[in-house]
Amino acid sequence: MAIIHAEAAPETRGALVASGINLSFGGIDVLKGVDLDLRPGLVTGLIGPNGAGKTSLFNCLTGLYHPNRGRIALGDTALDVLSPARRAGLGMVRSFQHMALSPDLTLLENVMTGLTLSRRSGWGSAFLPMPRGRAETQDARRRAMAALDELGIAGAADLAPPELPPGTQRLGEIARALVGGPKVLLLDEPAAGLNAVETRDLTRALRRVMHPALIMVVVEHDMDLIMQLCDQIYVLNFGKVIACGSPEAVQADPEVLRVYLGAGDE
Amino acid sequence: MSGLFALFQDLPTLLWSGLVSGCLYGLGALGLVMVFKSSRVVNFAHGNLAGLAAFLVYGFSSGVLLNLSWGSAVALSLGLTCLVGVLAYAVIAPLVFKSDLTSTIATLGIGLILQGTIQIVFGAEIVSLELPIPSFGFGVGGLRITAYDLTVLAVTILMIGSLFFVIERTKLGIAFRAVCSNPFASRVCGLNLRLVHLFSWVSGAVLGLVAALLIVPTTFLSSTTVASFMLTAFTAAVVGGFSSLPGAAVGGILVGVAMNLFSFYVSPEFMNTFLLGVIMLTLNFFPDGLLEKAVGGRV
Amino acid sequence: MAVSELVHPEGAIRSPARAVPDLRKWLAALVVAVLAVLPMLSGSFLLYSLSLCFANAIAVLSVSVLVRYGGEVSIGHSFFVALGAYTVAVMEKHLGLGLWISLPVALLMGFAAGLLFAVPSRRMSGIYLAVASMALALSLPELLIHMERWTGGFEGLYISRDLLPGVAKAGQRYYFALAALILVCLAMAHFRGSRQGMALLLARAHPRAAEAFGITRSWARISVFALSATLASLSGAVVAFASSTVSPNSFTLWSGIFYLVGSVVSLQGTSLLAALVGGGIITLVPQYLAGAGDYVPILYGSALLIVTLLANSGSGLRRLLPGKGA
Ligand SMILES: Nc1ncnc2c1ncn2[C@@H]1O[C@H](COP(=O)(O)OP(=O)(O)OP(=O)(O)O)[C@@H](O)[C@H]1O
Ligand SMILES: [Mg+2]
Repeated sequence: MAIIHAEAAPETRGALVASGINLSFGGIDVLKGVDLDLRPGLVTGLIGPNGAGKTSLFNCLTGLYHPNRGRIALGDTALDVLSPARRAGLGMVRSFQHMALSPDLTLLENVMTGLTLSRRSGWGSAFLPMPRGRAETQDARRRAMAALDELGIAGAADLAPPELPPGTQRLGEIARALVGGPKVLLLDEPAAGLNAVETRDLTRALRRVMHPALIMVVVEHDMDLIMQLCDQIYVLNFGKVIACGSPEAVQADPEVLRVYLGAGDE
Repeated sequence: MSGLFALFQDLPTLLWSGLVSGCLYGLGALGLVMVFKSSRVVNFAHGNLAGLAAFLVYGFSSGVLLNLSWGSAVALSLGLTCLVGVLAYAVIAPLVFKSDLTSTIATLGIGLILQGTIQIVFGAEIVSLELPIPSFGFGVGGLRITAYDLTVLAVTILMIGSLFFVIERTKLGIAFRAVCSNPFASRVCGLNLRLVHLFSWVSGAVLGLVAALLIVPTTFLSSTTVASFMLTAFTAAVVGGFSSLPGAAVGGILVGVAMNLFSFYVSPEFMNTFLLGVIMLTLNFFPDGLLEKAVGGRV
Repeated sequence: MAVSELVHPEGAIRSPARAVPDLRKWLAALVVAVLAVLPMLSGSFLLYSLSLCFANAIAVLSVSVLVRYGGEVSIGHSFFVALGAYTVAVMEKHLGLGLWISLPVALLMGFAAGLLFAVPSRRMSGIYLAVASMALALSLPELLIHMERWTGGFEGLYISRDLLPGVAKAGQRYYFALAALILVCLAMAHFRGSRQGMALLLARAHPRAAEAFGITRSWARISVFALSATLASLSGAVVAFASSTVSPNSFTLWSGIFYLVGSVVSLQGTSLLAALVGGGIITLVPQYLAGAGDYVPILYGSALLIVTLLANSGSGLRRLLPGKGA
């Protein structure tokens, strides 16, 4: 299938490209030959009915699942054999559909864990208050606070996730993903559990953090958010990409209409 | 040359006695695995319950508690042991499926309580407990087979046979298998989860009692021998993959034979260290048990 | 995640706890002050018991660190405690070296043993780790008894060299144990806010999320185990020095289970007060209830059950309460 994109040619170097991804669990095919071409500077929407394989595709991209076939590359680097942690080291981060904040850490500390890879302090400063370790912690705290502030939840910084409403927890996850200045940001249903106002704020915040070197992919059932935010959209159904292109093109695609009407309009 | 011959001269005897004691470790491991498969609880009280059961038989037949015949003592102990098994399950029922950590800690608590009970009722004595079987034996090609050996084999086959009959042929067995493969789905289907759990806990208790009764004559019974027996049963379960019933039985025999060989050819003093090595090696190289391929994980 | 319910009941009492952090600090300071002046007021037997209590508190804390930061349970920490204790004793007996040198060596030994145990078990699930740790604890007495040339066999070894020559023995034992405990607690308090500490807490709650931020499971398992074993070994060194004797009897499977009891009863806390509660319960109960010795396992067993069931029903209750927010 040809990747068509209407707008001006975006940056092609450093693109995240997946080709021919096949994934199956116990004989059931979850992904069937998925191709993706994700360019820096573009926000890509990934939509599809429940069980279409969106989360599984994210899991393949981040290395939690191993595709049976197909390859994935970020720029010139083949990702296929890299562990999730190594991929994180290349600047790929994500949020999770099922909330994955530690209940033992405050929201701010949870966001600070997003900086783990960029922090260098050794075990000595883990136990002793050494000046360098301290400075680094201060810096991490400041950056995490800035990320929370960007998403408008700085007020909840010192609370533990179980005490927070789901919307704030989601934003916290996004802040954790953003704080390290990622190259690739994968968001799995960031607006689930958010009310209309929160969703609008989230859309604005995501627009604000977008920059020309960032690859952002959003899985979402909220079509308003997708239409407002995305430059291109992939539609997944039963593990296959059934359409891709600009929001307008996808919206007009008969196949997509059929799937969405068939699956109950969302 | 004669040295080499001497080295292998004892091999048949070692293998045979390893097989016999291995059957008992297998019975112990079966109890652990049944409980684990159905309720995801690693029962650290298993050995203590088996120890208590053996002490009860001793107490009821020796005059410490009562002066019954061996048979009635066993019957009474069996009843009590099952009761304790049911009580133990009732106590930790709210914790089942919660987390490994929680249920491990809770079964350790039960184990401590049972251990304390043994100490209070029977003290720190070391007692011997014989089986009421004639002491005859015969030789087969240099191998000496005793009535004890035959009893162990017969009882093991009987126990495993009836267990598999229940699991394969009865309604309870079908429910047990369903719960083992997917506890949540089977609850949705209206299967009685608690009943299945009770079945596995009581079976575990009975298997433990039988294994303890049969193993005590070869050593002695004290409130501390239990821990070693428990470790052996755990090792057998790990070797068998921890969630396979046939694996547990075969794992028991493998461990029994390996322990015999180790204690004869290397050193009898480092038995637990040997078991530690077996556990670490198995988990590292065969995380699903040595027999994953050979026997398969089902049942 | 369900693990956190028991492991970290503080989640439940978090907000009230934060409302009174100052109170806690003052309480801890008060306790330290009382413990610091106690030797001037009390008899030597109490001091001796308290020194052991401090040493055991460190062992309890080492188990709590494993549970809290690793979500794992070990009943074999007696192995690492014994390692530290015997390192001090053997170095004095065979090399004539005192605590100044043997203590750092004991720490290194604990660290190395923790690594040695954790590396092969880094992929094991929690239950297997508990089973393997049980084997570890059971193999220890065999090793100690049969390496008689080094370890003194059943008899064990004596430790008689002073840390500070010329200072009263009871006093230096007591203050050394107290200082070690306080330093460990301070270090652990600092660790909670460190990069590594927070990474471990995330990995325990959501291993996959942690992996997506570069925190691998094996790193988490190995680090937390090495840390915990090092602390346990330190506790052993303090036990050896404070009690001036080591023997296989003090390091059985039961001691390993008792450390876990202390840790569960102190709600896996790593603060000074929590550690003192845990260490106190496993040291003082058997000592002062010597007459009721046989009841100790029952007591401890009930404690494990009660705390676990309460923590569980607590989380159940919390779920029934009307949620806030939303
Ligand atoms: N680990 C797994 N084992 C077995 N099947 C899986 C696994 N992960 C996903 N699946 C299956 O793959 C299919 C796609 O799941 P996936 O979570 O990717 O869907 P999704 O598009 O994210 O749906 P939703 O919108 O509900 O989040 C589902 O049928 C699911 O059952
Ligand atoms: Mg999904």
